[in-house]
Amino acid sequence: MDQNNSLPPYAQGLASPQGAMTPGIPIFSPMMPYGTGLTPQPIQSTNSLSILEEQRQQQQQQQQQQQQQQQQQQQQQQQQQQQAAAAAAQQSASQQAPPGAAGQTPQLFHSQTLTTAPLPGTTPLYPSPMTPMTPITPATPASESSGIVPQLQNIVSTVNLGCKLDLKTIALRARNAEYNPKRFAAVIMRIREPRTTALIFSSGKMVCTGAKSEEQSRLAARKYARVVQKLGFPAKFLDFKIQNMVGSCDVKFPIRLEGLVLTHQQFSSYEPELFPGLIYRMIKPRIVLLIFVSGKVVLTGAKVRAEIYEAFENIYPILKGFRKTT
Amino acid sequence: MPGGRRCPDCDSTELVEDSHYSQSQLVCSDCGCVITEGVLTTTFADEGHLREVTYSQSTGENEQVSRSQQRRCLRRVRDLCRVLQLPSTFEDTAVAYYQQAYRHSGIRAARLQKKEVLVGCCVLITCRQHNWPLTMGTICTLIYADLDVFSGTYMQIVKLLGLDVPSLCLADLVKTYCSSFRLFQASPSVPAKYVEDKEKMLSRTLQLVELANETWLVTGRHPLPVITAATFLAWQSLQPSGRLTCSLARFCKLANVDLPYPATSRLQELLAVLLQMAEQLAWLQILKLNKRSVVKHIGDLLQHRHTLVRKAFRDGTAEMEACEREVQGQRQGEEEVGDSSLDLPVRKRPASPALLLPPCMLKPPKQLRPTPPVCTVTGDENISDSEIEQYLRTPEEVRDFQRAQAAGQAAKSLPNPL
Repeated sequence: MDQNNSLPPYAQGLASPQGAMTPGIPIFSPMMPYGTGLTPQPIQSTNSLSILEEQRQQQQQQQQQQQQQQQQQQQQQQQQQQQAAAAAAQQSASQQAPPGAAGQTPQLFHSQTLTTAPLPGTTPLYPSPMTPMTPITPATPASESSGIVPQLQNIVSTVNLGCKLDLKTIALRARNAEYNPKRFAAVIMRIREPRTTALIFSSGKMVCTGAKSEEQSRLAARKYARVVQKLGFPAKFLDFKIQNMVGSCDVKFPIRLEGLVLTHQQFSSYEPELFPGLIYRMIKPRIVLLIFVSGKVVLTGAKVRAEIYEAFENIYPILKGFRKTT
Repeated sequence: MPGGRRCPDCDSTELVEDSHYSQSQLVCSDCGCVITEGVLTTTFADEGHLREVTYSQSTGENEQVSRSQQRRCLRRVRDLCRVLQLPSTFEDTAVAYYQQAYRHSGIRAARLQKKEVLVGCCVLITCRQHNWPLTMGTICTLIYADLDVFSGTYMQIVKLLGLDVPSLCLADLVKTYCSSFRLFQASPSVPAKYVEDKEKMLSRTLQLVELANETWLVTGRHPLPVITAATFLAWQSLQPSGRLTCSLARFCKLANVDLPYPATSRLQELLAVLLQMAEQLAWLQILKLNKRSVVKHIGDLLQHRHTLVRKAFRDGTAEMEACEREVQGQRQGEEEVGDSSLDLPVRKRPASPALLLPPCMLKPPKQLRPTPPVCTVTGDENISDSEIEQYLRTPEEVRDFQRAQAAGQAAKSLPNPL
């Protein structure tokens, strides 16, 4: 076997350098296939500010109500504790602080997650897992929620400008456009605020990438539409739809990827020869997660923000299970 | 006769649907005026409804070609299995996988290159399922394919067939890979002092790879460079006196094995781990070892590796849990509201024992770009004209650009003055 085996088990020329890992599946595809001409129900086809304002006010009221309820509950429980025996004095001391902390956390989460106005369709979903509905639990908060919020890194959206465009004219008269028909059949336009890139096609359809939130993506798309309008085309703003959202976060502990692929083999794909991360395809919600040994997690494939949060809350207990090295 | 329509010329109601060859037309039977006509060309929808038959379909060319292609590729699968000297059952399994893949239209319509790469994928999947250690690099060399193309086809076929492919078995890979090193017999290129006993080298390499696995040097990395580094250290440590002067590159050349690029950094990482362990042994502490001298004591270190790793490294994850608990305790102690700092306090610790973490977590954190202040954006703000104007060219700029473009075109079209 030794003498006949003249085959090199490893070929240096075909060593996969750390930089060129391709999972082989277009995970981060800025070009989401939308051009079937059939656009499913858009989230916001009518740009009516009043409806949004109303809904935002409703949400704020709901949040305030929730906070008030929690505070009331806390007060009631505090009274009950004071009426209890002296031995409970220690308990009450320790339990007064968590209400303080639990009463804190809703505000914290809100300030972190709701800095940008939430979309009407999504808000009812995600405040509930974030705000602990049972305010006083001496147990560590980590068992209920991870306390880590994934940050959105990229939003891909599409919009129909509703008219045929002459890409040569756009490339000629716009400063921030590049057009190389031999390479790609669209104009690549960029704006500085919000920092995004758009692909504008001659059919009038446009893809906008690079925004960090849904609202920024919408604002950027509107700016591109305005630029096209000023170039003399009758551009409209039809069927704006968010196609993909990418988020990332750090669980701050190392993860045994080999163990994870053994226990969750029907969802995971871990090929260290190809890519250093584990590709986890969650079914509900339908999100793809890239999990790395350093504890960093990338979540992609979401259409709404809530899916990213939900996916992370689902994966966090699984990852915690692989925290111990032995 | 369609109701209500009149000929625009003679105002008659006698309209007939008549077709001129394949083009349907609505004609006035009195004056012969053509009122409407159908489309001359077919649409995709028409063709989809089987109104059109392509030439290749009518001659059955596609089917013949694909069947002969399939037979050729199946023959390649069998040849590949024989070249790799795999058991005969593997051959049948690989062929079955290929046939299964070929039933999918996406594979049948794929390019020839992809079909040829698929040959390698099926063989690899078969080997993995039988725990036969075969790396993707080997397969790619044998089928003359790029790793990028191979990886795409491999991931696609695993998903398409819904296969469960187990991970590469590290221990078996060590045994196969080490056996390929030409160091077990003296030869003109291998001096006597470099020849080593195969069993001793194998067992020591296995222990070193196990140690690397335990100390987070293997997760997320290509396995082969780690094994190369471990083999080198095992070989050196078995007779350090004569071999310390030999470098990793020279070692691989002697052994007639390709040196994978990451192997040098894996070697340094492994040596660092061994040095950490050596500091826990009393009689080695005095010697003040460095990365070269620690090789002489690898035998001792491996003998007690489990205890040494436990003593030399703090459990990185336990550390973080302890930190978190302390921070929570602080928060509970404070009744103050408004302490929103979630960052764990950076603690000053003595240099040793070190944290048992993957090397990527031990490196100093990258200086992240400061996140821009989150400003509330509603998406429906007013867009000022001036902001948009900055993205439009002035007429002078347009003229200059057009002139420059024309000049560029002219220069390109001029014949080369040689």
